[in-house]
Amino acid sequence: MKTLVKIAFKNLNRQKKRSFLLGGAIAFGIMVVTIINGFAGAFAKNIAGNMADLFAGHVFVEGVEKSAKGKPVEVIRDATVLNEALAASRVDSRLVQKRSAADATLVFEGKKANQSIWGADFANESYLKRRLVLKEGSYDDLLAPNSLVLSEKVARKLKAELGDKVLVQLKTVSGQNNVGEFTLRGITHDMGLFSNMLAYASRDDLNSLLALGPEEFQLYGIMLDDLSKAEPARDALVAALKARAQVFELSAAEVSPSGAAGMQSRYYKLNRLAKKESWEGAKYRVFTINDMISQVEELVKVLNSASLVILAVLFVIIMVGISNTFRMVMYERIREIGTMRALGMQRPSVKRLFLLEAGFLATGGTLAGLAAAGLVMLILSLFDFGTGTFFSLLMRNGHLTFAVGPVQAALNFVIVLALTLLAAYLPARKASRLEPAVALRSTK
Amino acid sequence: MVIVELSDVRKVYPLGKVEVEAVKGVSFAIEKGDFISIAGPSGSGKTTILNMIGCVDRPTSGIVTIAGTPTKDLKDKDLTTLRHDTLGFIFQTFNLVPVLNVRENVEFPLLLGKERGSKKEREEWIDYLIEEVGLTQWAKHRPNELSGGQRQRVAIARALVGKPQIVLADEPTANLDSKTGEQILELMKKINREMETTFIFSTHDARIVNIADHVIRLQDGLVVENVRKGEDAIAATAAEAAEAGQGGRS
Repeated sequence: MKTLVKIAFKNLNRQKKRSFLLGGAIAFGIMVVTIINGFAGAFAKNIAGNMADLFAGHVFVEGVEKSAKGKPVEVIRDATVLNEALAASRVDSRLVQKRSAADATLVFEGKKANQSIWGADFANESYLKRRLVLKEGSYDDLLAPNSLVLSEKVARKLKAELGDKVLVQLKTVSGQNNVGEFTLRGITHDMGLFSNMLAYASRDDLNSLLALGPEEFQLYGIMLDDLSKAEPARDALVAALKARAQVFELSAAEVSPSGAAGMQSRYYKLNRLAKKESWEGAKYRVFTINDMISQVEELVKVLNSASLVILAVLFVIIMVGISNTFRMVMYERIREIGTMRALGMQRPSVKRLFLLEAGFLATGGTLAGLAAAGLVMLILSLFDFGTGTFFSLLMRNGHLTFAVGPVQAALNFVIVLALTLLAAYLPARKASRLEPAVALRSTK
Repeated sequence: MVIVELSDVRKVYPLGKVEVEAVKGVSFAIEKGDFISIAGPSGSGKTTILNMIGCVDRPTSGIVTIAGTPTKDLKDKDLTTLRHDTLGFIFQTFNLVPVLNVRENVEFPLLLGKERGSKKEREEWIDYLIEEVGLTQWAKHRPNELSGGQRQRVAIARALVGKPQIVLADEPTANLDSKTGEQILELMKKINREMETTFIFSTHDARIVNIADHVIRLQDGLVVENVRKGEDAIAATAAEAAEAGQGGRS
């Protein structure tokens, strides 16, 4: 076997140009697919990471009560039970944020815009202070009463400028219409579709408009060290909270159902439970940032599937080349095959010799493709695309990032190896079946 | 002791829609330790007979017996094993593996079968053969860095490395100049004497015919002469063979 390996490896050097072209074709295919995989891999992480920054947490708790009319009211009146459960869960939290939220209509000089507004604790949310990049205004100005931060897009739509008074119309938690006046003290960069997530007001001011008490809030956000810890932290928190309060829980069938329901996010399913179920007092739902954006995960799956299809199509084309080349190689080396057979090489060894050569080609091509993909991804990640666009949500601090898992890379390699061996198999089999006398008689 | 025996061997090749009878019922025997020349003009059936003795081709009819084993019903795997264990090959065009150096080429047949002897013994044997063929200085060189004579010496060492009972040489001097050809023949004769290896040549080189101790002449697929030096002719003439419906029998 060692001899076969040696000959197969050396055979690749006999026609350097041809080996280079074939290996190059494999490398190109692997490079394209690896870059797509890398982008898709980081895509979900970046969106989740950036969303975690916007929502100020990786794991969240919402409290729900039933109103007198049986409608769910989202409110957490006391954080004590949540703080105790968090401590008991031993979740390693970096910080905890309490926020309110409202879907509001903003009105300024006859112009209107629908906008989600976060009620944040400007004075104490050091994390928000670090992450909120203002195009106009300063963070310290936000500490003044009734301050409002809007995205550039929404401010432009309202034609509002810093210092302008904007009316905020919303429904209180109990469903009453209410209106308040806020002063525009900060404008953030435009974030396209996600601009409606970038409106902030003081939590106290928003609470007052929502008819919530000063200590009440709606979202308990827990920031962890790492996004990858979100799901274990969620499960630990649910376990700890169940011992102290009522918690919404999905059955195993609801967590991973088949069919169309499989596309619904965990967060959506938890919300639906609040509408269906009856209870008294506060009941909590615990979810992660990934639960909220599970559609992104679906998108990643689609991207990865598409990349596999691209890989397959590319390699069907490359396979034709490999198959033809190995057929040619067989005719070029026909006397050599005859000699080896005459000297005592068995048929399976002849086949193995060809397949080993194909295997080396696939391995070399894959390694070169991975190296090229690494280089391209490194170069792309050096460019600063800025943070002021919608696309920055797909990046990390304005830089493209890529994440290729070893399993994905190994899977691509296995596919390439299998297809290359398949392409070389028929010529290899034909070579092994050559009669030694016929091969030795050949004048090629 | 008879080491190769052909009995009424025929070989027919299809050539398009017609069939060409390359060997027309040949019978002869070769003794162990013979230095035998199968001579004859082009198309007389020399290489076909050599291929059948070498088990790289099968007769259309008749029996070929190599070292006591009739090859007729052997499967490809067994024929390959028989070739590996019993036969050595020297080709007109050397047929060395181009990506292997001299030492690796000589060693190659040993790596194809079951291991015989210790690694040290094998290495000493390879070194001895390379020295015997005068290529110690060239052991690390690849075939394309060698002259024709040197390549044929590598082929000789390769043919002998498995200590075969029989070495088949198909026109071994045809691609060599006369001086190199003579050196190669001397080397093979020396090995024949020292190792008692049976050498079977197909050739039209008169020098080989002259130094051979057994000559079989072919014409049109028939044995026309079968002579051992110092003995009377032991073959039937082509005419007699044709009358008998078979080739000359030793």
